[in-house]
This record gives sequence, structure tokens and C-alpha cells, in this order.
Amino acid sequence: MTRFTSSRLHLYASLAAAGLVAGLAFGRVEPVALAAPFVLALVAALTEHEPRVSIRLSLDRERALEGEEVTATVELVSAGGVDRFELLVPLPPEASIEGGPARALLLRAGEERTVELTLRCERWGAFSVGPVLVRAHDLLGLRSWEGEAGEPQPLRVYPREETLRSLVPPLETQVFAGNQVSRVRGEGIEFADLREWQPGDRVRRVNWRATALRGSLWVNEQYPERNTDVVLFLDTFTEVRAQGRSTNDRAVRAAATLARGYLQRKDRVGLVGFGGVLSWLVPESGTRQLYAIVDTLLASDIVHSFALRDVDTLPPRTLPPKALVLAITPLLDNRTASALLDLRARGYDLIVVEVSPLELVEPSLAASVELAHRLWRLSREALRWRYEQVGVPVVTWRDGVPLAGPLEEVNAFRHLARPA
Amino acid sequence: MLAAALARAGSSAPLLSLPAGLGILALGLGLARRGRGLGAALWLGAATYVAFVVHVEHHVDPTAPLVAVLLLLTGELSAWSLDERWRIRADPQLAWRRGAALAALALAALAVAALVVSLSAVPASHGLLLTVAGAAAAVGAAGIGVWVARR
Repeated sequence: MTRFTSSRLHLYASLAAAGLVAGLAFGRVEPVALAAPFVLALVAALTEHEPRVSIRLSLDRERALEGEEVTATVELVSAGGVDRFELLVPLPPEASIEGGPARALLLRAGEERTVELTLRCERWGAFSVGPVLVRAHDLLGLRSWEGEAGEPQPLRVYPREETLRSLVPPLETQVFAGNQVSRVRGEGIEFADLREWQPGDRVRRVNWRATALRGSLWVNEQYPERNTDVVLFLDTFTEVRAQGRSTNDRAVRAAATLARGYLQRKDRVGLVGFGGVLSWLVPESGTRQLYAIVDTLLASDIVHSFALRDVDTLPPRTLPPKALVLAITPLLDNRTASALLDLRARGYDLIVVEVSPLELVEPSLAASVELAHRLWRLSREALRWRYEQVGVPVVTWRDGVPLAGPLEEVNAFRHLARPA
Repeated sequence: MLAAALARAGSSAPLLSLPAGLGILALGLGLARRGRGLGAALWLGAATYVAFVVHVEHHVDPTAPLVAVLLLLTGELSAWSLDERWRIRADPQLAWRRGAALAALALAALAVAALVVSLSAVPASHGLLLTVAGAAAAVGAAGIGVWVARR
């Protein structure tokens, strides 16, 4: 621990010295009497020794959901006791402690003290809690010892997920079994059509009622259940942040929700973080992939960059053929817009979920700013129109609206206007 | 404390009121500005009192121990007030213990200062024992000074 002396200690020392010198100089006892209390305070302060305190920091769990509370426990033992022991748990801005992060305690000799602090996880993220900053004072606060103690404890706060009733079905499925009814006919459960018997057809597929009606053998055709490849394309070039809310927060929440939804359907889900820092996960299935995606999302942050990026910079396996690409973007960066149009041109089944920044940007009353705001909105409309022209549904997810709404909008769009 | 000294200062009162007023102003500023100026306030208070005893009071002032303790309490209570402005959830007994420690220090300081003043009334040639005690006190004061400087 590092020792610090209060500025009062220096003041008292100077006053005591001045009093003694003045007493000698003027031949008066009063200045000496004036110095006496300060000398006594100095002696009282300097008899204090560095305290020995053992500190242990722990969290009741390492993982929590956004908005949940985690209990941090600080266990303290001091052999010699401390008159005033202050501790502060440094926290990232995404978390807060009920009653503030600092506590002041009296530690008696040999006594074990346990301090429980309730951490409220305000926003998703991966961070560490600790080490604890500590300060031991003497009773009058003339001397103190400061230091750090306790091992940092990792804490992962996962984004709160939206409730989804249905997901957007892909236009094409893959070859592995899954829960998605394929558009291609084959061995499955869902009835597709009838056709005449051909050599090689199994007897169990014969539709006896149709056969009896038509006088020749007819068989049922089915749609097989297949899995799909879904790539979540997260735009991390830029964001709009205001009043503690940001477009990136909602984009991450949407990505986590969609990843869980598709993985529960036995689909393979991959992730592309397209921004200043490029990150990707090759599509895989299973719970392990869900944790990998969420962990990658926790690390996703907006990194401003002027580097030109396009889809060619991505490893080929991250974008398998016939994959459904769900782009989650605030439509603020032209590089993302170009990359998505490029993907569409390469034949990917693309859906754009626009995380609307409009609620976070309030137009100013000044006429010039208001005009700029209108132009900006028009340019966004034009970009949406460009996507729609190439058959890409663009749905807007506004703040305060469930994610299920825009996804239903995509389904409706696909019923009405099937892309080529 | 300063008002009592000024009341007894007679014709020197206007002269002494300047450092006294500045001291009070510095104290007010110190409390308002997180302690900046607190040192100046104590220095000005002490200087006003020393000027009073040197220029006005020709006998030993019996209130000197009280003045000394009040000066110490001014510093300590101001510092306590500033400490309490930090938003820290503290054990309730900490305030009681600090108050008790401050009271004990003030009483001990009063006793020591009173002893110093009363010993000054003893004539210098009053025996070998007192001469030795005086020398020991001087050596002790110097020793404390060295100890403080080294720590």
C-alpha cells in the first residue's frame, strides 16, 4: 500500500514549528502554548502504522442478463484493525452499484467483515469487476494508505432478448435435416403433390384413394424438412447514441435474439461483424455456437474507420451458398450499403433490418439544421428504395417496438413480392 | 476566539482586525472550495493572536491554551466537514469514534497547553529539577521535529 499524508499534517507541522520559533523569538509562552495542540496531533498521527488487511472479492455468478442484479462480496480481515477503511469497486459505465460504489467501514482487530454490493447490469458487455481500490485512514484522517486488492472478477452481461413467435423462412434450404420445410420435393412429412408411380417408388408412398379413383398407381410427394444457413450481418461501422440508448445496443439485442431463434430450429447460424474491426463466425449449429455468437457480440463495439471494406475481405466459408443473410444495420454507412447490394447481386437471400436511429436524432429548430435533417431522411428513403428495387425487403425496427413486428413485415413482403 | 482578542486589543484592534478578517474570509472560502485556503485561515488566526499577545498583552495570557485548542478544533472540524461531502455509505459508528477521538485530542491538547502556560509562571532559577525538565522538554521538542521530518 502507498502511504499518503494529509495536507493538514504539513500545516500542523508548520504551525507547531512556527509557534515554537515565535515563542523563542518573542520570549513569550503563548506561541508555545499555541503550538502544543498541533504537536500533540502530529504525535498522535505519526504513531499510526500501516494496516494489514486481507481482501477477497467474489461475484455470485459470472453471467447475467441485461437488467439483472449480481451480488459482489468483499471479505475483509485485519489483524490489527483499521479506524476507517474505505473501499471502492471500480465499475464500467454499463453497471452501477446500489448506494454508490464506495463504502467506509470500521475494521476491528481480527474481525471478519463481509460487504455485499448489489451490482445492477444496465447494459450488455464483457467486463471485469475489481480489483478493489482501498484506503485505510487514521481516525482523524491525517494519514492514509492506499492500494488495490482482490482479483478482478470477469462478468459477462448478455443482451436481453426479444420474444419472437416466428422467424423469417429462407428461400432455399440446405441438405441437412432440420425444422424448415423445404421448397424442393423429397422425403418428408409435409404433403406436396401427387404424381404417377415410377419404378423405384416405395409402396408406402402410394396414395390408394387417388389410385382407386384414377385406375393407375399414384404416389404422394412431400416436402422434406431441412436446415438452413443463416448469416447475421451486423453493421458496426457507426452508431447513433443518445440518452444512454444506441442503435448498436439494439442491433446486438436483435442479433442475439435471432441467433437463439434459428439455432433452436437446428439451423446453422454464422455472424459477420462488418465495421472498423471485422469479425466473423462460420455458420455452425448447437448451443456452443450460440455462446460463441453471444460472446462475439459482447465484444462488438463501434470502431470508427475510414478503411474501404467490401464482402471480398470476408473468408469464403462465412457466407455459404444459399444462405439467408439477415443484415442488421442503422443504414448510416455507405460501405455497408454497398456490401449488402453486392451480396444481393451474388444471389444471396438478403433481408435488411434497419435499426432506426431517427428516434435518437431530434431535429433542431434552426431552419438550416431542419433542412439538413430532412435531406438526410430523404437520402435514407432513397437507399431503401435502391434495396427494394433489387428485391431486398427493408424493414424498420423502431425503438420501443417488438422485433417480431418488422419480421412479420418481411414475411408479408415475401408473400406479396417473391424475389427472383 | 479572534473577537475576544480584538475586544481586548484596544487601540490596536483596527490593525489586528485586518488579518483576523482575512482569516475568517479564508476559512469561509476554504469550506466552500473543498479546503483550499484552510491553511491560510489557520495561519492568519494564529498570527493575529501572536501579534495581539506580543504587542498588546504584557502579561501571560491565561486564555492561550483555550485559543490553541480552538485553533486546532477549527482545522479538524473544517476537515471533517469536507470529508463528509464525499458520498460514501459509512458505518454509523465511524462518526461517533471520530467525534470521541477529536474530543480526547482537544482535552489532551488543553491539558498540555495549560501545563506549558503554568510552567512558564515558575521562575527560571527555581531549582535543578525544573532546569533539567525544561532542557528535556526542549530536547523532546527538537526530537519530535526530527522524527516528524523523517517520517
